[in-house]
Amino acid sequence: MKGMKVKTDSPVTRKAREGVMEFLLVNHPLDCPICDQGGECDLQDQSMAFGSDRSRFTDNAFTGKRAVEDKNIGPLIKTIMTRCIHCTRCIRFASEVAGVDDLGTSGRGSDMQVGTYVEKMFKSELSGNVIDLCPVGALTSKPYAFTTRPWETRRIESIDVMDAVGSNIVVSMRTNEVMRILPRLNEDINEEWISDKSRFAYDGLKRQRLTTPFVRNNSGELVATDWETALFDIAQRVKDANPATIAGVAGGQADLEAMVCLKDMINRLGSEVLCTEEAFPMINSGTDFRSNYVMNTTIAGIEESDLVFLVGTNPRLEGSLVNARIRKSWVHNEMCVVLLGAPVDLSYDYQYLGDSFSVLKEIADGSHPIAKALADADKPMIILGSDAIQHNNGSLILDTVKRIAKNTKKSLNHPDWKVFNVLHRNASQVGALDMGYKPGMDSLKCDKPSLLFLLGADADKLNNDDLHGNAGVIYIGSHGDAGAQMADVVLPAAAYTEKDAMYVNTEGRAQVGRQAVSPPGMARHDWKIIRALSEILGVSLPYDKLSDVRGRLAEISPTFDRPGRVEETGFDNVSDDVTIDKITHTGATAPVVPALLKLRDFYMTDPISRSSLTMAKCVQAYDEAEANPYSKPEAI
Amino acid sequence: MASPRIVQQGIKQVKPLMSVDRTEARRRVLNLYKAWYRQIPYVVKDFYLPITVKMGRDKVRELFLKNKHVTDIRIIDMLVIKGQMDLVETANIWKQRNHVMMFFKDTVNPKPKDFLSKFYEGQE
Repeated sequence: MKGMKVKTDSPVTRKAREGVMEFLLVNHPLDCPICDQGGECDLQDQSMAFGSDRSRFTDNAFTGKRAVEDKNIGPLIKTIMTRCIHCTRCIRFASEVAGVDDLGTSGRGSDMQVGTYVEKMFKSELSGNVIDLCPVGALTSKPYAFTTRPWETRRIESIDVMDAVGSNIVVSMRTNEVMRILPRLNEDINEEWISDKSRFAYDGLKRQRLTTPFVRNNSGELVATDWETALFDIAQRVKDANPATIAGVAGGQADLEAMVCLKDMINRLGSEVLCTEEAFPMINSGTDFRSNYVMNTTIAGIEESDLVFLVGTNPRLEGSLVNARIRKSWVHNEMCVVLLGAPVDLSYDYQYLGDSFSVLKEIADGSHPIAKALADADKPMIILGSDAIQHNNGSLILDTVKRIAKNTKKSLNHPDWKVFNVLHRNASQVGALDMGYKPGMDSLKCDKPSLLFLLGADADKLNNDDLHGNAGVIYIGSHGDAGAQMADVVLPAAAYTEKDAMYVNTEGRAQVGRQAVSPPGMARHDWKIIRALSEILGVSLPYDKLSDVRGRLAEISPTFDRPGRVEETGFDNVSDDVTIDKITHTGATAPVVPALLKLRDFYMTDPISRSSLTMAKCVQAYDEAEANPYSKPEAI
Repeated sequence: MASPRIVQQGIKQVKPLMSVDRTEARRRVLNLYKAWYRQIPYVVKDFYLPITVKMGRDKVRELFLKNKHVTDIRIIDMLVIKGQMDLVETANIWKQRNHVMMFFKDTVNPKPKDFLSKFYEGQE
């Protein structure tokens, strides 16, 4: 009303708040000392600020407070439903943000219950966020239960490496252990959410770890040794190898510092064979222009778009927060989504074009109705999943998508709007391409390397046939996974919570993660291992401190020097015209489908999540949920 | 008028610890040095130290020269007082053998300086 005055701190308001608090506490258990929310509980804070100093609650009939049965909604979220104050934030999150209508209420008044109606798993890749949303201790983290209090932990700001989104996270640390991982607000990337893999895979940091160097002995066993022996063993192998065919492979979670050191060392040894595990077709201008391989419109830019065309990707599992952003836009902005690929459950409706390449070709030729829709759209986006261009026909798919993007740009009203976007899966990929790593291991396989350095390369895409006869393999990484298994020398390195490191996300945004805990045992920071090795090999890198390496990074690309910012890509028109490599593959008939189809595939994708007990439990729970007749099957 | 007071404060005469001028301070230092120099053979003998008298005297000289940059008379005096106390404790065998040998720091490993040794040690 006009002229109305709202008093927020008058005696009457305070009294009213006190009354509300009293009602809330009538049915809320007084178990704060054993409640996991203790210390970060909104109800506790409110009660301290506005509550009465005594209770008028007298249970004259000894009936007890309201008690509600706990629900089992999966291995991630622990429910103590007696503590629920019926704020329905979890329900709203599930149906509005996650797009999974699994949670709801039943009953009225004091008999109201929040739950899943029938017992089933809360099947969402963003489910962990309801823990943060719950103002009380009704929904808490199952793996974190009864471990620490918030005031005992130190919080370190870091970057997630489970996917290429680069979600901002806070690592809670106590006694040199990662206790939990929480999201950190960044409106441009993850807003205030993180995916379940980012949040719960941290227990994988304590399992399968490499804590000492290993050298393979004559009988083929890896034997634990010390750093000096391991480094000198490598020196001997380098001496025996042909310097021009020494190769390096960067894995999915490699940080910029380690990658630049590896590149500089191998270049100094006289070789140019450096590549990433993840392929990217080198057609036309290849990776020479940044606009060819990043998400040009940025994640926040999705909200401006009115038509999103997804090609061969399942953003829900490949970049959960990109998908959350598309969903947000789909709900609020009337955005249309068109999908060519596998018919996956994206948590929103989309127009499905099938998975055949011929449809893509029709769109490129303009004979498909979607071509017109793209041309008519105000700000269309084409998001190409990097997974769909891994196989042999990848170059043809990429070229066709680029052609569609080029055609779409012709009729664009906004000259600055970028149409073409790539959604990567690996945290290291864009950074590696930025500094000149060759995407994919085809060139490496042609060269038959005589000595191979694997920098956390665990995707198991190489075997001994790809190498020169008696080639040595040196693995630098944190976990005993596929890479360490094939290696002759294993050097233990730090995982992402254990080092100050930079990563570039799929938008091309460099971000700095801080060290939360120290590397276990004899493990060292990745870049230092390479720096030390370079000294033994007689090609000393001139970096003694982290700042020296960062200086070198800044020399390579100014984007590395501006963490947190995303630089707009230029030359996207030029990049289409430059032709380096003609397309050789023609008969692409294979369906354009990504590898991750169901939520089950999402949980274990990298060395850390593969060694995580929590993630294994998720897979198990998913299989059990599939057997549950009340569980709604996923769309596919 | 604030400025004369500040000037006054600046030139305020400080209270001497013992010596009133540099000559006196220097004499005290030399006296202490001589006393240590003469005491060394007894120290080596009494504590049954695994060093020669020469090594002991060289160490005394080294420790004195470590403070040769000190010019403030009061600090020189204070160092002399501490040196005197040390001497008394040594001469009266209030110290034990290892306390005297601490001057030589022979059990202390030097911290690694270059990148590679720091890497092997696992230190920053």
